[in-house]
Amino acid sequence: MDRRHFLRWIGKGILGTSGFWLCARGVAWGKSAFEYALEGQNLIAAKRLAEARDVLKEAVRLDPKSDWAHGLLGRAYYGLGQRAEAVAAFREAVRINSADTYSRMMIEIITQKPIPKPKKPRRSLTPLEKKARAEEEAMLSQLTPEGGLAYRVKRVVIDPGHGGFDSGAVGPTGLKEKDVTLDLAQSVRRKISEEGSIKCFLTRTGDYYIPLSDRTVIANQYQADLFVSIHINANENRKAHGCETYYCSEKASSKEAARVAAFENAVLKYDEPFKKRPGYIDIEEILFNFERRLYWEESGKFARTFQNRFEQALPFKSRGVHSANFFVLRRAKMPSILLETGFISNHDEEAALKKASIRDEIVAAVIRGLLNGRG
Amino acid sequence: MDVDDLIFQGADYHYKGELDKAIAKFQAAVRIEPQNEYAHNQLGILYAKKERFDAAFREFQKVAQIDGHNTYALLWLGILYLKQGNLNQGFEKFQRIIEIDPSNADAYYFLGAIYNFRHNTTKAIKYLKKARDADSDESDTHYRLAQAFHNLDMTTNALLEYQRTLALKPSHTKAINGIGWLYYNRGERDAAIAEWKKTLKMNPRDRDAIFNLAKAYNDLAWEAMKRNKPKEAISYWKKTLGVDPKNKAAVHYLKKYGA
Ligand SMILES: [Zn+2]
Repeated sequence: MDRRHFLRWIGKGILGTSGFWLCARGVAWGKSAFEYALEGQNLIAAKRLAEARDVLKEAVRLDPKSDWAHGLLGRAYYGLGQRAEAVAAFREAVRINSADTYSRMMIEIITQKPIPKPKKPRRSLTPLEKKARAEEEAMLSQLTPEGGLAYRVKRVVIDPGHGGFDSGAVGPTGLKEKDVTLDLAQSVRRKISEEGSIKCFLTRTGDYYIPLSDRTVIANQYQADLFVSIHINANENRKAHGCETYYCSEKASSKEAARVAAFENAVLKYDEPFKKRPGYIDIEEILFNFERRLYWEESGKFARTFQNRFEQALPFKSRGVHSANFFVLRRAKMPSILLETGFISNHDEEAALKKASIRDEIVAAVIRGLLNGRG
Repeated sequence: MDVDDLIFQGADYHYKGELDKAIAKFQAAVRIEPQNEYAHNQLGILYAKKERFDAAFREFQKVAQIDGHNTYALLWLGILYLKQGNLNQGFEKFQRIIEIDPSNADAYYFLGAIYNFRHNTTKAIKYLKKARDADSDESDTHYRLAQAFHNLDMTTNALLEYQRTLALKPSHTKAINGIGWLYYNRGERDAAIAEWKKTLKMNPRDRDAIFNLAKAYNDLAWEAMKRNKPKEAISYWKKTLGVDPKNKAAVHYLKKYGA
């Protein structure tokens, strides 16, 4: 709305209709707030806006609780092009009387475009704030600012599959998946720590069982940038062989998967007490969905990167990249992938997985995949 | 009927939640005055509330064509791009807003959130601090800033921002859960558990708090076993089942070591 419109409104008398005056207080001497406000209203109608503003300032000084006077003052300011002051006056009117449609609307109209913001007075810092400032100065001075929107990996959680009473798959000669995955994960952590640019955490460090829920909790605990679950495949058909990489996908591969995902995502979405209000746009929900979608996309990219490394470096056939709805991937609040590095049920691959040299190759491939994501 | 009357009535219907009537008024207004930015913006919001996002997008785009400095329309275009999953276009709109208005808290907030999603934490902190400094009353700005600090192990700043989140919105359970991890990771397990219990009091179905507590009790149980204190371990596994009755680890180990 421009000035021309504003003045047209004045001419139509809409102005006086919003807000109401509770008491016309009698004052023995001098003008009352009511009289000032009334005068201000007449001055606005006569387009004498500067004079209107001054008498209305007096009106709100005498009666700060009059939404009517604040609203009129807002109009005077707005007519004079003092947009920030106008918004402040309209906000005060709405604060006093939330049913003041006109003032609400005027705030919306004016704030469609930038208005200068008032400076806030500085106050002294609390002890925690002082400590925080010192920490920030120490930390941020060490960090080089990074541009760009590429995804960055600085902290990774490696999850050795299974453990404890859950052996995972067992090979023809008795090699257990849980032992291979733990060995691989520990080697990855050792080597990546030597390299130094990525912090690495493990979900388990020994032969004990942890439930799936704990594994993603650990990824969330360390605010990881990437979650990598290591498994070894198995199949009743002993001929099945090769390595593959899974990630959690937006598009489920079957109806059943879609149903499970819908259920799980519904629970995930509203961990916080949440009131779904009709006619309300939930920005945080939009951001939540957007974030999850980005992580899924990124998971797909990581899966392809890791699978490429396997293809280049391992003596196993590549079975490609797949998407599926793994619980362990679904609850992680970061990109997450699941590696199946060979078939323990296959004689040749079980034998290979026993060899230190093959394990070193797998570890090296995983590390190259990780370093690729540093951004 | 006059445009200004239509707009006033539309706004009034909108505030009263009568969205269809509001839409009719604003539609009539833009028929008379196709360049009216406010009426188009209102239509955009109203369509979005009715989940007609394509129609909403078109209205905001019209406003941006009428005046490229209408930061309100640009902001909503950015948000709707994010809703479509379009990172680059959304990012560009928010960037454009801060070129026009260097004190726009909302644009800084979305830019900070986007950098958080890319785990570019230093950039996220930079923008979220600007959002916070431009408008310190938004709990989610403090929360996302806390997350960014947390990701960089700047635990004092993380704690401060989590606390500011809760000062503005005491029911912000994600902030409570975050504080829990700050305590837990520095070895203050009891304090962490107390935080997650606070969350469960507010929302007994909060999955993060449930699984965090289950994990904490399982950890404590294992440590007790290592100290050769099976009774203590059993009491912790029982606590695990108290929050997460199907927890496979606790079920198994209680069967194995329990009475
Ligand atoms: Zn497995």
